[in-house]
Amino acid sequence: MLIVVITVPFIAFDVLPVIGDPESAPNTHVSDYYIEHAIDECNSPNMVTAVIVDYRAFDTMFETTVMFLAGIAVVLILANRPRKRIPSAGSYKRSMTVAGRAIYNTVNKDVMISAIEPVILVYAIYVLFHGEVSLGGGFQAGALIGMTYLLDTMAVRREKPLFRLNKFQSGAIAGLGPFIYAVTGIVSIIGGGLYLEYNKLPLDIHQAELHSIGITAVEVGVTIGVAGTIITILNALIERISFDDDND
Amino acid sequence: MMTTISAFLASKGIYLLTLILLSLGVAGIIVCNNYMKKLICMNIMQVAVIFFFLCFGQKDGGTIPVAVDGLVKAADYINPLPHGLMLTAIVVSLGTTGVGLSLLFRIMEKYGTIEEDDLIKREKKF
Repeated sequence: MLIVVITVPFIAFDVLPVIGDPESAPNTHVSDYYIEHAIDECNSPNMVTAVIVDYRAFDTMFETTVMFLAGIAVVLILANRPRKRIPSAGSYKRSMTVAGRAIYNTVNKDVMISAIEPVILVYAIYVLFHGEVSLGGGFQAGALIGMTYLLDTMAVRREKPLFRLNKFQSGAIAGLGPFIYAVTGIVSIIGGGLYLEYNKLPLDIHQAELHSIGITAVEVGVTIGVAGTIITILNALIERISFDDDND
Repeated sequence: MMTTISAFLASKGIYLLTLILLSLGVAGIIVCNNYMKKLICMNIMQVAVIFFFLCFGQKDGGTIPVAVDGLVKAADYINPLPHGLMLTAIVVSLGTTGVGLSLLFRIMEKYGTIEEDDLIKREKKF
């Protein structure tokens, strides 16, 4: 019965395209234009980057703004003063105190994560600045940077943290990302073009170089926005959490 | 008969899998009592939609959408458009998950539980 209900739409309504068909509707109309003109018009061999930050740059600007607003919303939802103790968590916390300590304090985890973190950050910078040439881009680099901060905060026990932001500082950083993005568009207006029209940036170099500079500036903005938003969400949530191995 | 079924599965079978994943997400949202599990099921549903979109980008004989010297035709590259759209969708789903988690925190602090049955009982007390 269930299989029939699932299968009948696929046989009866033959609307979905065959997988891998180069002539199907999603693969023909506008995507051919993007593939064939991405290098000439945007100087960006990575076509996904060309689509999201050059052809559809205005769309991506507001995606970044949505991320920033999500971070601000988390901070505002959790803006009240937290209660001292969550009622039902007490007995669980007491029974887990002894069991948790021996596992969490192994040296392997702290040393290994401290060794891996710089590598992840270098990889994030590579993904950011190489995003228009090979695979990568601003969103991925921002997620990598944010996840490094998350890993360091949640997994490593340090006496003195190397680098900590509170939720207001990281919220300000998250707002800096869309700001850089918007300023790039305004600079291209000053150069005499439309908003986010990169080949009108007021610099005296070749047009293809201008596109590269514009894409890189926008990607830096996206990276800062996404990384700041992840850190903001983490900071706003983590000050309400009581872990099993807390010493308070 | 068997060749028909196998040809159907080869050409459109992936839609069945994404449909199963989507129904798992919807069923989880309806059936589960715990709000945390509902949030996880919502994420599973988002992943199903993302898979569904990415299926459209596939082309036989195409390589990844990064330009290579000597390949200039559109048929040589897979479709970059679903990848661009879903890239932003993944990141925005991270933001919505964060907002959902913060709402769960508020519910937990006010009522002491995120089980739906207990929540409805306690709601009548307040």
